[in-house]
Amino acid sequence: MSAELRRILVLLVAASTALATLPWLASDFMLSLALTCLLYVGLAVSWSMFSGATNYLSLATSAFFGIGAYVTAWGYESLPYAVVVLLGGLVAAAFAALVGAAVLHLRGAYFAVLTFGLGELVRHAITYAEKTYAKTVGRVIADPPESIDVYLTVLLLAFLAVAVCAMVRASRFGLALAGIGADEERAQTLGVNTRRTKILAFALAAFFAGALGAAMAVRWTYIEPASVFNPFIGFQTVLIAMIGGAQTLIGPIASAVIFSVMTEMLRLQFPYAYLIALGVLLILLVLYLPGGMASLFRRAWKPNA
Amino acid sequence: MTFWIELVATGLITGGIYALVALGLNLQYGLMRVMNISHGEFLMLGAYLTWLAHTVFGFDPVAFLPVVAILLFILGLAVYRLCFQRIVRTSPSVEVIEARSLLIGFGLMYLVQNAAYLAWGADMRGYSYLSDPVQIAGARFAGNSLLAFGFAMVASLAMLALLRWTMLGKAVRAMMQSPAGAQLVGIDTRVLHPAVFGLGLALAGVAGALLSMLYEITPGMGEPYTVTALIVITLGGLGSAAGCLAGGLLLGLVEAFGMHFTSPSLKMLLSYGVFIGVLLARPKGLFAR
Repeated sequence: MSAELRRILVLLVAASTALATLPWLASDFMLSLALTCLLYVGLAVSWSMFSGATNYLSLATSAFFGIGAYVTAWGYESLPYAVVVLLGGLVAAAFAALVGAAVLHLRGAYFAVLTFGLGELVRHAITYAEKTYAKTVGRVIADPPESIDVYLTVLLLAFLAVAVCAMVRASRFGLALAGIGADEERAQTLGVNTRRTKILAFALAAFFAGALGAAMAVRWTYIEPASVFNPFIGFQTVLIAMIGGAQTLIGPIASAVIFSVMTEMLRLQFPYAYLIALGVLLILLVLYLPGGMASLFRRAWKPNA
Repeated sequence: MTFWIELVATGLITGGIYALVALGLNLQYGLMRVMNISHGEFLMLGAYLTWLAHTVFGFDPVAFLPVVAILLFILGLAVYRLCFQRIVRTSPSVEVIEARSLLIGFGLMYLVQNAAYLAWGADMRGYSYLSDPVQIAGARFAGNSLLAFGFAMVASLAMLALLRWTMLGKAVRAMMQSPAGAQLVGIDTRVLHPAVFGLGLALAGVAGALLSMLYEITPGMGEPYTVTALIVITLGGLGSAAGCLAGGLLLGLVEAFGMHFTSPSLKMLLSYGVFIGVLLARPKGLFAR
């Protein structure tokens, strides 16, 4: 384990321990704000672990998130909360591995478009299955867990996502992913099993999205396909990671916190104007700062780099 | 028998509109690798413009079609200039152009769609236009859907003729075959790229105007059409206008028959099934040699 990785992990453990005391210190509103921040930290970091490194633009986050939420909807009555969350992650990862095996040979726009449609596909499939076999459109979560438990679970997942991402970045596996992003054919020539690497990373990222979906689902009490497969969740994740700088670790974390706070403050008051502003921001960013916020600082530190 | 004719006709009518929507997107993508995921939002703008012109100012929707095309063309020039010109010129490779234009498309999608929500609200809007049934060979059709199919076909075929026989079309095809070669013989990308982008939006706008005669419209109506257009492009092959037309009609038929034999709520699943199947089996399109 390198010195840098050890330093990141120590910092991470310290930050998480401090955040774990929040339920006993902060008000309900602050706690729910912190929960949203942690959710997007987990989603954006796990997204950039795969898509930031490999340059495969995945828009499937809302599909994985929704699958996780539906695992909770189906399993919460008979299984304990922790098991359901784990199961949600595993089901989403298995789904990602299956889809990945089928479509990860496609690059660029095809991959993006296919994953964009994945959320819709799963949403329609579940809506149809629920209507036909269970004769219902949504499900009620009776007796949801304490909000402290939800908070600590999401905190643990966000912590794991960042820690796993940091460890992946420092490993041979992470180098292989970055190699695929830089030049896939070259990576293959140099002996990387690109297919297995991509599928593994795609499934790993999906695990966190699914587990976070399963953990957050209990907050809604009423679960229906239209709300848990909301494309906004996926869009916001990509936006956060891209604005922060998807090639870095700190970028997505910082911008997840900034955007979650902004969203909570502005989205309810000015729903349409806020989304218009997000759209404009994304366009400006891609045009003038394609490396994200993190590239600003890197440029400031190393003017010649 | 009559029933089958009606089913085929329903498929072809939907397919004709699909082809028209996909044609614009295919031209843009084939020529400059700009994957404009907000294509459907401009279709929605075309629909709202026609609805406004008809209900507020009393224009005839058909007579208003050229106006929609011209307005969307001008809008396309502006959007290209503001959003896409820079990435097409400064990106190091086509893959980067694809990825960045996709993200810009998402930005535009949120911008345009929410601006429409802000302006017109989330209610369904619509008007009745030529909805009386017409009898042809014993089968009954709504007059407006025949009209929409006719105009979709005319616009698509006009586009094909333009590509085949005019200087502009030759330049576009040359540029698709070899960008460097085309520039060497004096084809100017600074004129061609904005013009083709504008043309793509004009086609989307016309498709939207036609759809507004058939169905009720909402600000969110465009998104499914974007996805459908991408499926049609995959079916017909990237950059192939004739393949696009065939692919659109084919997808319309597949949906019509599929929904008849299974259930209307499976429409999306059917389209995706086709999409994934084609991507796996024939990633270059059904008609590629």
